[in-house]
Amino acid sequence: MRYLILGNGVAGTTAALTLRAADLEAEITMVSAESDYFFSRTALMYAFMDRMSLRDLEPYERRVFAKQKIRLVRDTVVDLDATRRALSLASGQTLAYDRLLLAVGSLGARPDWPGLESVREGVSHFVTLADLDRCEHLARATREAVVVGGGLIGVELVECLVFHRKKVTFLVRSPWYWPGALAREESEIVSSHIRRHGVDLHGSEEVAGVQSDPGGRIRVVRTKSGAEFPCQMLGIAIGVVPAVAWLQQVKTPPRMGRGILVSPAFETSLENVWAAGDCAEFQHDGRPTVEQLWYSAKRQGELAARAMLGNPIHYAPPIFFNSAKFFEIEYTSAGAVGEPPAGARTFFFPFPGREASARIVEQAGAVVGLNMLGSRWDHALFERWIAERRGLSYVVEHLAEAQFDVEFGRVDLAPLRSYYREWSGRG
Amino acid sequence: MVRQGKAAWLAHDLTHRGVTAWLLTGLLVAFYLLLYSTEVFARAARAIGLDSRWTLYGILYSLAILAGGVYVLRKYRHNRYQVVRTAVVMFVQVVFAFLVPEILKFFHQPEYYFSYFWPLKLDDFVPGTIFRLPLAYVLYSFIGSLLLVPLLGTLVGKRWYCSWVCGCGGLANTAGDPLRHLTSKSSAAWKFEKVSIHVVLAICLLLTALLFLAWGWGARAPELARFTHAFETAYAFLVVAMLSGVVGAGLYPVGGTRIWCRNFCPMAALLGLVQKAGRFRIAVKRNMCISCGLCSKYCEMGIDVRAYAQANSSFTRAACVGCGLCAEVCPRGVLRLENARSRPAPEPALVRISTV
Ligand SMILES: Cc1cc2nc3c(=O)[nH]c(=O)nc-3n(C[C@H](O)[C@H](O)[C@H](O)COP(=O)(O)OP(=O)(O)OC[C@H]3O[C@@H](n4cnc5c(N)ncnc54)[C@H](O)[C@@H]3O)c2cc1C
Ligand code: SF4
Ligand code: SF4
Repeated sequence: MRYLILGNGVAGTTAALTLRAADLEAEITMVSAESDYFFSRTALMYAFMDRMSLRDLEPYERRVFAKQKIRLVRDTVVDLDATRRALSLASGQTLAYDRLLLAVGSLGARPDWPGLESVREGVSHFVTLADLDRCEHLARATREAVVVGGGLIGVELVECLVFHRKKVTFLVRSPWYWPGALAREESEIVSSHIRRHGVDLHGSEEVAGVQSDPGGRIRVVRTKSGAEFPCQMLGIAIGVVPAVAWLQQVKTPPRMGRGILVSPAFETSLENVWAAGDCAEFQHDGRPTVEQLWYSAKRQGELAARAMLGNPIHYAPPIFFNSAKFFEIEYTSAGAVGEPPAGARTFFFPFPGREASARIVEQAGAVVGLNMLGSRWDHALFERWIAERRGLSYVVEHLAEAQFDVEFGRVDLAPLRSYYREWSGRG
Repeated sequence: MVRQGKAAWLAHDLTHRGVTAWLLTGLLVAFYLLLYSTEVFARAARAIGLDSRWTLYGILYSLAILAGGVYVLRKYRHNRYQVVRTAVVMFVQVVFAFLVPEILKFFHQPEYYFSYFWPLKLDDFVPGTIFRLPLAYVLYSFIGSLLLVPLLGTLVGKRWYCSWVCGCGGLANTAGDPLRHLTSKSSAAWKFEKVSIHVVLAICLLLTALLFLAWGWGARAPELARFTHAFETAYAFLVVAMLSGVVGAGLYPVGGTRIWCRNFCPMAALLGLVQKAGRFRIAVKRNMCISCGLCSKYCEMGIDVRAYAQANSSFTRAACVGCGLCAEVCPRGVLRLENARSRPAPEPALVRISTV
């Protein structure tokens, strides 16, 4: 059996290792244009900040791939012919397969701001190794940088630029930072923390256009409010999109929406072709869904491999969880976050004297989501409480069990509990 | 990417095996060679009115731990575990490893180091020296080495001795902090460590046994006494001076801070065995690891923490000293030092796979 995996990210690599664990004989090949070896995309910022070398970003020792007899090919795939079961590479080679996994990941979304098309230098995403290279190159000749986009990648890029002592303007379209995950109160804690690091953070600012100097380097970013921000570097972090544009031009394109459409068993519309990770789009609760997270790409990679091995797989995303870090503030969440569902009631408590808070959302007598800032929590326990449909009082009472802070460093929950008694007494 | 500017270049070069790091290594190695095998420091000590080179060394060593400690306290001030631990390390060094022995000497009492135990420090355990001390010291040494250290290891969990008390670890965790990431994480280095540390332990146990035998029967077996003496001298030179001094501390800027602790220290080997049998572990939060590798990079004992974290397996490694830095640097709060069975391990259903 010849397994071919396109993409050596976490989805592709997890799939390759899963295939090998189950099938000692198969031929397994992984192709990627970006790097020789699997690396951790989530750690790009630590390379930019000199905390890690590029080699340190590799989650597995290189010898693992030789030992597991996984052939690695570094090349760009330019064509897919599912009728002949072959991929064509930019080098002119073709790779034949019996079963193919598309794990092509995502790329930074490109906006259509007026003036952007004529900028030749100074603009970058922060998603790929090439982006990292570009950002490092640009940072050397930058005093003032603008970063646009109110999500996690944006704040990571901002942190890197602050580390390199750049004057950073951070433009967010929504009224407060990251409304997808944070309510206004949490966002205020995070925003003032970001500002304390010298970042000029603006909410409700949408880019109207950009201008470059005669040499083609970015010079200024204008917003719809009429403000102008001079800069020598512009980081675009307005989201990521599945890296599937090239698949539209191949001999046999799979059916696609935003990403590659897959069944609950990760099958694409093409025979013997599966897709997983950031690039896969499936139906969840009747809605087209693309999960663009490290954990989900890993999980999907493993399950897609099991499906390719012939196991019956029916994927449904488990209860959502995520974590992040905004400069020094850590964040853990589980369940329904961001917009609370209709009819929900929300308990929110900012811990006194600490940049920390707890938010617990309850709907119809059951806790449906938790959003915790500034201290560490075991999300697995949160997920269990959500799955078991525990009520708010139960969760508040048992909250200490989920604390995951360092020894001597736990937040004191007593004020939270007494505030809860007062709050629930109020009705 | 290295920060721009000369100061930043120097800081990077010193901590990333650059030219200056090699220069500093040369200086440190020369320092230890001069200290152990010449009279240079003895003369220098006398010139400034100190009684021996070891007092001078004690002063320098304590200053390094104090200065490094202040740096570490500032750097990790948001982390209570690091603050408490560092304060204890600084206190133990200054009080028990420096002031108390000096005060004892001043009052013409035996110079005794209450923070060191067998098998790290042989002198205060073997009959030739210890039985010349008052009974209280004998009891402290024997009970401390054979009972207290392993027992506390079992009760407290982590290798508290190595990360809270010991001077070797103390230097590594204070002045050595900017170099902690240099320890090799390769599986080859792990293989080497497992052999080397147990070999040194075996040699140390053998020497201890010989010293007791020679003490008991030496008078009747001069051959044994002579052999033991030669063995002891060789051990003092090879293991104590070379491995713990020249290699262990001298190579900090190119090999990382725990070369001695990780590969050679007999105390570490024993405590590692206690740890493997004990309750201590590093708990891993399920599915939260993003494989960034910071934990592995900043583990001074060369443990590839990420390998466990990304596989969702909580783990106990003999070499882990419980410094807590992996948990500190993890940007997703995945890791926690704990004693197993102290809390229920949640087993959530993460992946729903139907077998229809
Ligand atoms: C800066 C940053 C920070 C992040 N932080 C987090 C985080 O904290 N938590 C979290 O959950 N997620 C995070 N993510 C998201 C996470 O990294 C992704 O969800 C995950 O990497 C997706 O993995 P994947 O295997 O699906 O795809 P990818 O890692 O994107 O791998 C796809 C690979 O396929 C290759 N490829 C694509 N097309 C071709 C072709 N035609 N020919 C050859 N090769 C091709 C690409 O070059 C790429 O190497 C972050 C992402 C970024 C960019
Ligand atoms: S595993 Fe963690 S606690 Fe143990 S020695 Fe390494 S960094 Fe320290
Ligand atoms: S530091 Fe944390 S997230 Fe990063 S590899 Fe280690 S355990 Fe995983």
